[in-house]
Amino acid sequence: MNNKAKVSFVQALKKSALGFISMSPMLLGVIGLVAIIQTYVTPDMIRSVFGKGLFIDTLSGTFTGAIFSGNPAVSYLVGGELLEEGVSLYAVTAFILSWVTLGFVQLPAESEALGFRFTLYRNLLSLITTIVVSIATVATIGIIK
Amino acid sequence: MKLQFKGAKFFILVVFVYLVLFFINSEKTAAALQQGSSIVLKLLPIFLAVIVLTAVINYFLRPQQIVKHFGKESGMLGWLYALFGGIISHGPMYAWYPMLQDMKNHGLREGLIATFLYARAIKLPLLPLMVDYFGLMFTTVLSVYILGGAYLQGRFMEYILCLKHKSKRDL
Repeated sequence: MNNKAKVSFVQALKKSALGFISMSPMLLGVIGLVAIIQTYVTPDMIRSVFGKGLFIDTLSGTFTGAIFSGNPAVSYLVGGELLEEGVSLYAVTAFILSWVTLGFVQLPAESEALGFRFTLYRNLLSLITTIVVSIATVATIGIIK
Repeated sequence: MKLQFKGAKFFILVVFVYLVLFFINSEKTAAALQQGSSIVLKLLPIFLAVIVLTAVINYFLRPQQIVKHFGKESGMLGWLYALFGGIISHGPMYAWYPMLQDMKNHGLREGLIATFLYARAIKLPLLPLMVDYFGLMFTTVLSVYILGGAYLQGRFMEYILCLKHKSKRDL
């Protein structure tokens, strides 16, 4: 690689770093909110949302998962516990899926980076996709078994 | 390039929320602050990786090439790149927003962004843990549906945006 090319890569790196730094207040704000939710909302509070019938539980699973954002392993752990407590697999699937695909706390950051219109449509479509994928997964497993 | 901070008002609002919560429950709020710091530390390598990856993409792919691989003419390969990228990407969704914003400004299709973000539901390093909790059949079936859902979501996104664009043009 010649000297000119090297300089251009350094410039690309600098531009990329500046772009990232310009988003840092938004990212730090989202991380701050995630930390508040992780500290203030306990697994017991999550469990209390369920146990109200298959359909409501699936919707609750989707919305509860969407509120959280963090290590997906935690969603498996809580999801496993919910299953043991008799919560339907539909609700648990929706919960672990929306945990990683939706994120109410990151909506301002997504809107700032990718635009309000895109954020609105994507999150609405993700909400629908999550419910459909959850139902299809559990139904398919039922058919295979 | 001039540095312009985005989301400063949102950040100040979150600081305000912390201040209010501190007066309500100082112990828990301090724990939240500590948790936030540990999240930032954990994410630093991912942030660095995203910065380097954005630079690599900008350096090796000129805007015309980004349009060719990820733009309107990208075809099936574009969808496959988005699905594959989503599966192998690590960290939380918001860590990827700066890179996606940059690529979008260079011509990345919005449908591919939606597909990439939904395909991130498949977490390769966590698959063994998922199998352990929910079984191999559940993990396999769910992963297949996630990929299908991610692709369809991207297609729907483009369809909706196309309709919006059309109705704006007709007005």
